[in-house]
Amino acid sequence: MTSQTTTLTQQRRIGLRIERRLEQPLWLRVLTPFILIAAALLIGALLLSLVGANPWVVYNKMASIAFGSAHGWSDTTIKATPLILAGLGVSIAFRMRLWNIGAEGQLFIGAWVATGFALFWLPRDTPQAIMLLVMAIGGFVGGALWAFVPGVLKAKLNINEIITSLMLTYVAILWNNYWIYGPWSDRGFGLTPQFPRNAWLPRFTDYSGDFPFLRGITAHAGIFLALAVAILLWFVWKRTKWGYEVKVIGDNPRAGQYAGMYLARKIMAVMLLSGGLAGLAGMAEVSGVVHRLQERFSPGYGFTAIIVAWLAKLNPLAIVLVAYLFGGLLVGSDAIQPAGIAKMLQGVVLFVVVGGELLLQYRIKVGRSASS
Amino acid sequence: MRTQKWSAVGVLLIVALVFGACVAPQPGMQPAAPQAEAPAPAPAVGGVQIPEPVDGKFNVAFVYVGPIGDGGWTYAHNEGRLYLEEALGDVVHTAYLESVPEGADAERVIRNLARAGFDAIFTTSFGFMDPTATVAEEFPDVYFVHISGFKRNDTNFANLFGAMESMKYLVGMIAGARAQADGGNRIGYIAPFPIPEVIRHLNATAMGMRQTCPDCLMDVRWIFTWFDPDKERQAAESLFDAGADVVITGADTPGPVQVAGERGKWGVGYDSRNACDVDPEHCLTVPYWEWGPEYTRLVQSMLDGTFVGADIYFDVDSGSLGLLGFMEGQTPLPGVPAEVIPSVEELLAKMLSGEINRFTIFTGPIRDNKGNEIVPAGVTLTQSDLEGLQGIPGREDCTICMNWLAEGIVPDAEIPQ
Amino acid sequence: MTTSPYAVEMRGITKRFPGVLANDRVDFQVRKGEIHALLGENGAGKSTLMNILSGLYRPDEGEIAIHGQVVEFHSPRDAIRHGVGMVHQHFMLTPSQSVAENVFLGAREIGFVLNPQRMAAEVRRIAEQYRLPVDPNAKIWQLSVGEQQRVEIIKILYRGAEILILDEPTAVLTPQEAENLFVTLRSMAADNKTIIFISHKLEEVLSIADRITVLRSGRVAATLPAQGVTKTELANLMVGRQVLFQLEKPPVQRGEVRLRLDKVCALDDKQLPALCEVSLTVHSGEIVGVAGVAGNGQRELAEAICGLRPLTAGAIEVAGERMTRPTARRMIDAGVAYVPEDRNATGSAPNLSVAENLILKSYRRAEMGAGPFLDLSAMERIAASLVKSFNILTPSIKTPVRKLSGGNLQKVLLAREISSQPKVLIAASPTRGLDIGATESVRSLLLQERSQGAAILLISEDLDEIFAISDRIVVLYEGRIMGEFETADADLTEVGLLMAGGRTPSESFATQDKG
Repeated sequence: MTSQTTTLTQQRRIGLRIERRLEQPLWLRVLTPFILIAAALLIGALLLSLVGANPWVVYNKMASIAFGSAHGWSDTTIKATPLILAGLGVSIAFRMRLWNIGAEGQLFIGAWVATGFALFWLPRDTPQAIMLLVMAIGGFVGGALWAFVPGVLKAKLNINEIITSLMLTYVAILWNNYWIYGPWSDRGFGLTPQFPRNAWLPRFTDYSGDFPFLRGITAHAGIFLALAVAILLWFVWKRTKWGYEVKVIGDNPRAGQYAGMYLARKIMAVMLLSGGLAGLAGMAEVSGVVHRLQERFSPGYGFTAIIVAWLAKLNPLAIVLVAYLFGGLLVGSDAIQPAGIAKMLQGVVLFVVVGGELLLQYRIKVGRSASS
Repeated sequence: MRTQKWSAVGVLLIVALVFGACVAPQPGMQPAAPQAEAPAPAPAVGGVQIPEPVDGKFNVAFVYVGPIGDGGWTYAHNEGRLYLEEALGDVVHTAYLESVPEGADAERVIRNLARAGFDAIFTTSFGFMDPTATVAEEFPDVYFVHISGFKRNDTNFANLFGAMESMKYLVGMIAGARAQADGGNRIGYIAPFPIPEVIRHLNATAMGMRQTCPDCLMDVRWIFTWFDPDKERQAAESLFDAGADVVITGADTPGPVQVAGERGKWGVGYDSRNACDVDPEHCLTVPYWEWGPEYTRLVQSMLDGTFVGADIYFDVDSGSLGLLGFMEGQTPLPGVPAEVIPSVEELLAKMLSGEINRFTIFTGPIRDNKGNEIVPAGVTLTQSDLEGLQGIPGREDCTICMNWLAEGIVPDAEIPQ
Repeated sequence: MTTSPYAVEMRGITKRFPGVLANDRVDFQVRKGEIHALLGENGAGKSTLMNILSGLYRPDEGEIAIHGQVVEFHSPRDAIRHGVGMVHQHFMLTPSQSVAENVFLGAREIGFVLNPQRMAAEVRRIAEQYRLPVDPNAKIWQLSVGEQQRVEIIKILYRGAEILILDEPTAVLTPQEAENLFVTLRSMAADNKTIIFISHKLEEVLSIADRITVLRSGRVAATLPAQGVTKTELANLMVGRQVLFQLEKPPVQRGEVRLRLDKVCALDDKQLPALCEVSLTVHSGEIVGVAGVAGNGQRELAEAICGLRPLTAGAIEVAGERMTRPTARRMIDAGVAYVPEDRNATGSAPNLSVAENLILKSYRRAEMGAGPFLDLSAMERIAASLVKSFNILTPSIKTPVRKLSGGNLQKVLLAREISSQPKVLIAASPTRGLDIGATESVRSLLLQERSQGAAILLISEDLDEIFAISDRIVVLYEGRIMGEFETADADLTEVGLLMAGGRTPSESFATQDKG
């Protein structure tokens, strides 16, 4: 009965233990994004000082380039537009736990179809409104069909959509390369001729004749499209039966089946929409910014969009916000030379933000562990 | 639920990796070559530079497509920038942006430089042409010079390029002589893109080769990139495998010269005068760009107010083109056969004096690699022919366009469509 | 080393989880060589306490002594080193490996090279010593649940467990298998092993345990010898109030046939036959109980009726509508409600709110919003009224259902299914894992529906439940109906025998081969 203290045969040592948090406390969930961004900036600052730079000056400069002027906002908007559209696209699939990571490929195909209409398949004197409408629909359908392939394979044969959608991205990029170097090439270079003006999405700067202050504000109408889609999606998730079904299936597909939802049909529909929005992002990019199809016209928007959607916790309105932050990061890092430092900084932010989210689900405990 | 969570994490990791691979396709992270140490561009922040104009100076910005440490194209431009700073001293301030992607990003970068207050902007890649043209219209008070394109606006926007084909002709002579001396008859050429510029260089090299080695044949590999160390090396390997004694590269890295050394064969670099440094034993020569004098001349004309937005095309007599081992104060590298040195020196002297130039080289009779006569005897190609121009406003169309391969190139070679 | 009479002493154990005090200053002592039952409702803290004892959790306060020696466990490995081993409710076995391999899996001293003969011999020795018949070379997937449980016990015995903790071991067994287990436990106790037996079934606790500790709301309600205690006393200790064991069940009033299965066949998830020519009928106003040991086609039966599993032959008739290719939506529209056995995996979307789960079956209807739109206020109104009328304890209708207790989640499911006023209600193990109070209310809800004229098919492994509320009983064994009784005429032993395939228990274990 009497309690005995441990005998000396038992050694004790101090150790660190990593435990999974059973439940994330509320304060942690709210603070997570801020902690992560702060950590990323801190690590970035450390690296910057290592190469001899003053992080404060660098960050200041980046912020002022991205957000410090109307032109900065315009440039950031240009970057944010495809990120929002493609981010909304992947978020639709992610809501249903369909890991469509091929948004980049869908974006390329969307751009390709839009280019086809702009340069080859429609008469060159097509009125601008019709031209743009056809390009947008074509871009959407192109991206949708590209995503439909992994969708069908998933729905009918249960083939992993992560792999198929990613692989199709490479196919899309090569397909694009074939056309820009081959049949659609401008003098053998890796690009098509420039679109006629009626295939350009209106830009603010186009109205600088009447409003001189718009001069050089090259942000284009795609941003309104992106914002409209974000609001629409927000409404769909909140207030429609379709959104409810996606939510249920995303949380528990068996429960969806049990409730009489058609899983296969929904998977295909969701992939179509998801790819369609990425395709629309591609259309907006070629029609609003590049004005032609060319190699690497997207610096990985489709992939960044995944991270944007994830950080925004798939909330359509938060996606807009996060896309602007990432757009700002991309624009702001132009200021830094050599270019490797800028890329490194982007990499650090991505890595810390993605990896950190995971780490915050754990806690480290200092404890003694017994061993005999 | 747990597994779903983890698969989500897996997805993110994949994405992060793929993304990582995408944001940094240029292996330009390595520190710049030691020669590239800039004289502290202000406002520099330690090792990191933020390009900003300096009050009271004539501010010149350079937009590069690759990293300044590429040891080739961009390196040569950066040397030109440093030369300019040296030559004009305190009057100018220069800054650069490296590894700028072609396309929409370029337009933004160029516009931001103009907006920031730079007085002149040099853009050094073909893909920067349209963005430069667009921004030049928006900023009539800023001078723009685009390298390797064909657009200009007669006022503040000029294009600049040089007759590298003249030097390539000499390269062909040296390579042919080398193959002959080795008892071989194969030369390899690494061609980046099927565009007039590359085809022009390729043809000039083949014609030079036939001068010193009438039965030599030239093999071609199209690699569809200007800067990709792996692809360039692979193309060199493939050419040597096919029996080449000398491989000449038209792309930007010294990789093929390295491969030549590994094979115990011969290589010819491109772009910058230090392209042979990787293996001078096995490097025959490098035709290189000496952008400094031309940059200095152009900036001086801006300062003087005499700048014209014209098509500027310089030849060897401008002093802006070089052939390693043959310029003033240089001696030929050990691999160059002694018997060819006098004839190369003689031709080079004529080029330097302006006695002969690119048009001399491209004067008929010239046959293509299938034996058809392309340029009849006595006919000389025009500048438009050389540049393969068609439908360019303000320029005449080409009649014998640069879309043929010269005699000496293997007969079954085609220009990829 | 010491002469403490107790194998286990836990003193002042307190364990908190976010928002929950799972164990509150619990004192718990087990004598050497006794069978000690740990009794309590769900959520009373039994599993938490035993997870602490087996090294899975660490207590926030308090200390543990094993054979008088104070110990601190950081992992189950620490615990087993001190002779404490636990058999969990969910077995931790690798299906594709043999019994012997599973026993040796993770054991430290086996080294890199395995010696199959030696391993098999060792398993056989333990199996014989404690009457745990199992073939050491059989693969786990070939074994019945009862046999798998024996493998788990052998596993911890092999690792030197002197103190065995069994978490609700009879939940997955037939009455006969349970009886066999008790024989084994007694022989182990006779061999001076100490056994802690977690349960919420009163009968078996009384029949096997030497002493009983009752937990209620994380605290010890009492520790008392099994001798001389009655079921009612124990139940009152567990619940903290008087419990009625007899439900009021009015005589059956059969109406028309609502559900008819006509020679229905279906496959299981491995595409092997799971249901063979099952025919049965359920009338309006009656409860038909389907008895059987888990894994004999119950799940497939329920899913086939609800359109979640395609029929390979036969037809199902709901209220006169005959279907050979039913889908879930057709069945829902025809008036079939289903309370699935796995509340979390099938019956609910765990991260969605109570309200969203409550409309899972009805969201398509016009009252939930016109056309494609979802009327949130209608959803909240309906949810609030169901929460009230079914007495669902939840902080709010916006709380994710994963935060609800098992009983409250089950009420959410029942509320949803019953509120659709179904013609046919399929209830699969509706009280599994629920405590006495919740069980009581679920059963009375089912009886209430019966009075309203619903046709109810009750699929359950709990024979007591089937006998308590059904009007007719059919026995399912290996996908076939083995017999049908009016409950009034049925005999527990006979039903139990049919559940085991109509053969004597020993025979059925010896020849059982599900391959």
